[in-house]
Amino acid sequence: MAVANNELEKVIIQSVMEELARKGLLSQKGKDHVMAAAMMDTPIIPNTESEEMVTFPPLEEMQISNPFNADAVKTMMGSTPARIGIGRAGARPKTMSLLRFLADHAVAQDAVFLDVSEEFLQRMNLMSVQSAATSKDEFLQRPDLGRRLSAEAAKTIADKCEKNVQVQILIVDGLSSTAIEANIPDLLPALMQGLKSAGIKVGAPFFVKYGRVWVQDHVASIINTDVIISLIGERPGLGTAESLSAYMIYRPDENTVEADRTVISNIHKGGIPSAEAGAHLTDVIKQILAAKASGVKLNQQK
Amino acid sequence: MPESTTQRITSVGIDIGTTTTQLVISQLTIENTASGALVPRVEITDKEVIHRSQIYFTPLIDRDLINAVAVSKIVETEYQAAGLTPEMIDTGAVIITGETAKKENAKAIIDALAGFAGDFVVATAGANLEAIFAGKGSGASLYSAQRHQVVVNIDVGGGTSNYAIFHEGKAVDSSCINVGGHLIEFERQGDRVTYISEPAKIALQSTGQRLRVGERVTLSQFRPIVKAMAACVVGVLKSSIHSGLTKELLMTPPLQLDHQIRKVMISGGVADYVYASNEPTTMAEVTVFGDFGPLLGWELKVSLEAAGFVLEKPNETVRATVIGTGTQSVNLSGSTIHLQETTLPLRNVMVISPFTSVIPDTPQRIAEVVKNEVLRFQVDHTEGVVAIAMKGPRTMSFADINILAQGILLGLEDYLCKDKPLILVIEADCGKVLGQCINASANRPLEVVCIDQLEVENCDYIDIGKPLMGGRVVPVVLKTLVFNR
Repeated sequence: MAVANNELEKVIIQSVMEELARKGLLSQKGKDHVMAAAMMDTPIIPNTESEEMVTFPPLEEMQISNPFNADAVKTMMGSTPARIGIGRAGARPKTMSLLRFLADHAVAQDAVFLDVSEEFLQRMNLMSVQSAATSKDEFLQRPDLGRRLSAEAAKTIADKCEKNVQVQILIVDGLSSTAIEANIPDLLPALMQGLKSAGIKVGAPFFVKYGRVWVQDHVASIINTDVIISLIGERPGLGTAESLSAYMIYRPDENTVEADRTVISNIHKGGIPSAEAGAHLTDVIKQILAAKASGVKLNQQK
Repeated sequence: MPESTTQRITSVGIDIGTTTTQLVISQLTIENTASGALVPRVEITDKEVIHRSQIYFTPLIDRDLINAVAVSKIVETEYQAAGLTPEMIDTGAVIITGETAKKENAKAIIDALAGFAGDFVVATAGANLEAIFAGKGSGASLYSAQRHQVVVNIDVGGGTSNYAIFHEGKAVDSSCINVGGHLIEFERQGDRVTYISEPAKIALQSTGQRLRVGERVTLSQFRPIVKAMAACVVGVLKSSIHSGLTKELLMTPPLQLDHQIRKVMISGGVADYVYASNEPTTMAEVTVFGDFGPLLGWELKVSLEAAGFVLEKPNETVRATVIGTGTQSVNLSGSTIHLQETTLPLRNVMVISPFTSVIPDTPQRIAEVVKNEVLRFQVDHTEGVVAIAMKGPRTMSFADINILAQGILLGLEDYLCKDKPLILVIEADCGKVLGQCINASANRPLEVVCIDQLEVENCDYIDIGKPLMGGRVVPVVLKTLVFNR
């Protein structure tokens, strides 16, 4: 960038800066910074190594400068997780809004691209198997591979899992590993406790890496369970990357269609809290077992 | 479990005030508004008033005692007019307000109405609750939510004026002052005084006026007294520190005034005269109902406008309280709750909130707090059924919910020995899992009712009705029984 080395240019910059500072549109520090830059003969190279953290203002803080009715804006902001009441800088978003948007987008990407950690699986005492997808990239590009188990996984399940149970719980990374780590520690014990109290025979829950919803059909065909439930990470959005869904099906077979699955979605701290969801899912599973049906067939029986 | 997506319930509201007694019957529609893939969210989606009674003068035995038998006759007549029998009424409330909110009256009316008011009708009273019901019935609550503006509703009746301030639909402040249009009585359309109540005597004294029963009075002689009363009503809106007449007439702590008020709505019997276009010009016009309501209404309007307040018209005036009582007294619990249906309905359950701040972190420490609070309650009161209320567990983690469940069980060991049901009311959305944890931790089957997403205060009384929507929710009525305070 060309730097102001012309005297006239410097004078102009100086008077503009002083005028802005006088009107309160520029802080003293800001003015000094720009002036220092204007007086230099070589460009400043920004330091990209900086470790400085950006702190966002609280999400519920209204960013509109001169609201006509601040109460109304606050109430509307409280009614939606959408980005409203964020104000604007001319026709563009404010720096903080833009940074927050980028940060939330990064969180969503992390949720998809990161794996559920080994440490987490050990802590939760979950056996781990893998779908037919061999890598994250393949999993994302080939949905069909995420819907069935690898040959090795099928063998592991056949060898190690208890057969002929009433309920089998799967934990599936799906499109958000973050959702798994955020919800399972509170949801799983609540669900296990509820099923145990109801005297329902449950197989040991295990984890399926690179899995999609349909992988539950493949698992069910191996272990002969009445109900199979997948707790799976939802595709993250900019609102939350922690949302989990529970897909349940009664005795899936080759004729199974999507309408045969019962789903409870939006399990996260801003939706239904994980522990409460565990207790609620217990009820849903009891209904499925009693009706010997799930999905639309279950609803039609009600 | 059969479950329909909507259910209708019939609710009755009965308002027995200083001057008038009214009744409305409404139909509430309860609906699961969540889509299929979400956890159910059951809400009251529609409130329709299907019958409005005549406005009766409250039948009295003497100046303080209500004729409860005559009240039950009114209820009977109005049920017939609406084509309903008591069995068809699901819920509702009787509210005894103003000067008549006295212990003896409350008991007599509850006894007299026992057979008439359906299975789940409760008696409520108390100036603050009345104020809130009036503001909900008048439309002030809705106005504040729709326009996003703070509004105060003042229900000006025969004996009292009840204030409720609404912010985004919620009542945030309330108060009551002993000013009403019926505090001095006259010969109808005449100028001869037939009765002067105690608060009116105080007002007379402070304005230096002399007025005795049997005397005649001119409009210009009488106006200063009414002006003074109106000034008191407006004074409560302007400051939270009071002296003189206002201080003497206040029946509850004054308004806190944490929110700035500009908009005012007036409901109650006097309201129609606040919004009238002409002022009463003769004593005959003032005393058209044997009191001075028309003049109080006019002077209130003058006073409010002079003080810079903006008057907004309510949807309901004289019927605001009864409509509020009939349509707003029922709350629904959260939609994932834990309960044994056979335990319900439960009436007059006293609420104990054992935890003042943070919930302790071990079952033992939780138990200690619960035990002490329940013991304290049992010393003060008879051994009734109590509900333990709290905001929520320390965190929403399963571990903390489990610790809370164990602590509660441990703390209530003695209480539960007497085969009483375990009732928990919790604000956070974790009623179902908390109930499940309690059942899992208990060493024997217990009757547990654990309902969530309700706010209750220590020493409130609640009625919990039979479950609706296939066991998804229970109706809960919060009340303040005047004879228990």
